[in-house]
Amino acid sequence: MKSGSAHPNRSTEEQLAILSGAEPFFFRAGRTGCLLLHGFTGTPFEMRGLGEHLAGAGLTALGPRLFAHATRQEDLTRARWQDWLASAEDGYHLLSGCCDAIIPIGLSMGGVLALLLASASPVAGAVTLSTPLHPPDRRMRPLRPVAPIVSKLRRFADKGPADFDDPAAASTHLEYPQYPIRAAAELYDLILEMRKHLVEVRCPVLVVHSRRDRSVRFSDGEALMAKLGSQDKQSLWLEHSGHVVTRDTELRAVFEAVAAFVQRLARSTR
Amino acid sequence: MSQLLPGGEPFFLPGGSTGCLLIHGFTASPQEMRRLGDHLAGEGHTVLGVRLPGHATVLTDMLRVRWTDWYAATLDGACLLSDMCARIVPVGLSLGGALALRLAAEQPVAAAVALSTPYRQPPDRRLAVLRHLTWIVRFWRKGPPDWRDPQAQAERVAYPAYPLRAIAEVDATLAAMRSTLESIRAPVLLMHSAEDDFVRPDNMGLIAGNITASRVETALVTHSNHIITCDAARQLVFKRVAEFISRHTCDAP
Repeated sequence: MKSGSAHPNRSTEEQLAILSGAEPFFFRAGRTGCLLLHGFTGTPFEMRGLGEHLAGAGLTALGPRLFAHATRQEDLTRARWQDWLASAEDGYHLLSGCCDAIIPIGLSMGGVLALLLASASPVAGAVTLSTPLHPPDRRMRPLRPVAPIVSKLRRFADKGPADFDDPAAASTHLEYPQYPIRAAAELYDLILEMRKHLVEVRCPVLVVHSRRDRSVRFSDGEALMAKLGSQDKQSLWLEHSGHVVTRDTELRAVFEAVAAFVQRLARSTR
Repeated sequence: MSQLLPGGEPFFLPGGSTGCLLIHGFTASPQEMRRLGDHLAGEGHTVLGVRLPGHATVLTDMLRVRWTDWYAATLDGACLLSDMCARIVPVGLSLGGALALRLAAEQPVAAAVALSTPYRQPPDRRLAVLRHLTWIVRFWRKGPPDWRDPQAQAERVAYPAYPLRAIAEVDATLAAMRSTLESIRAPVLLMHSAEDDFVRPDNMGLIAGNITASRVETALVTHSNHIITCDAARQLVFKRVAEFISRHTCDAP
């Protein structure tokens, strides 16, 4: 890895691709732009169905690829949380070239980025899907200072079994097979960064979470609702879905709730 | 709070069915492609100016990026444009030109433009030593500015130094470009400043000579430094690039 990348002839083709089906997307429709942000180790694929639904409802949808995602999981060991926020900001700036109002919509870590954008940029609203308020693993707290060293010895951690309710969605999911430990430490820092800025989020927010989410607990969704600085807060609590609510059993309810929320904001900003 | 340098943001200009993918150079930012983007949008084209990872944020970010990140960002831009355009034309400056040519070799593009693009980096004995010491010496100051247009110099959004670790990644990008030049089937326009002291103009001929399977046009400009999209000869560059793209896309704006 260290000097290997300086020799592109070595397995060049294997190094270069974006995972097939995980490419970013840009569906142009109206002057309201939805910025669809995928989750940690995820890909734009998990936001694509929602993007297609929103475009069908007359809304522009941009699904960027966050830095070091949808390529090789080794790439993610080089990422810092600032890179992911910069990717989200890139998307915001691209959308601002064709939209008057922008609404960041993020799944899991994408929701963390959506709230950070909402705390600092003029957005019309924000949507969080399965978004954590607490770091994923309590053991991270004492381990965080040594994470950069630990991650050199043990680079990847296995993911637990997926919590999809819909087995068909589970079998077609596209993401890295493992968690890079160095990057998990960055996710930890990113969540702490979001917590610092939560009270600065003043725009309307829709919080979506499933009671059966085994990756980010349902109580995080409830606590997020309570902590947000916004006056206009809406929630959609799901009963059956797992963590990836944009692809699981109740995806229709999610798509319709998000579209209705965005359209309400689009009307009020007009 | 923002991660991006003010003025260094990527940009999107909606337009017709030809999508121009603008790719900036090493240690620079989308800012150096913006005026060209405005010109092409004025011609009726759709324009997207990507930000390459590690750029337009903080200099130390450059130490972590690899050339594959830059190429993936180029692919990202092509994916986004392909969702709304019938055809894509990558247009890159310097390192961005190498990425544009690599894209042209691997993806179906209507045409490609590489401006001030190196065929290989000039041998520099100091750098040859320093690049093995990147854990001690991390940055290398840029030389004195050589702008003909002081206004363009004042507007520039770029890093003040070269991150040594990332120079190896420029080498890797150029090697990847050289290895696929012969696969390019789309028409190519190469432009260079005759007075480019940073990447000598003979690089243009070396690139042209290795593109064997398609038609290559070359053009030299004068009164410009390396950044021909911004310096005094920029209007000439804009007109030539726009004319080339129109000729190879037959786009009714």
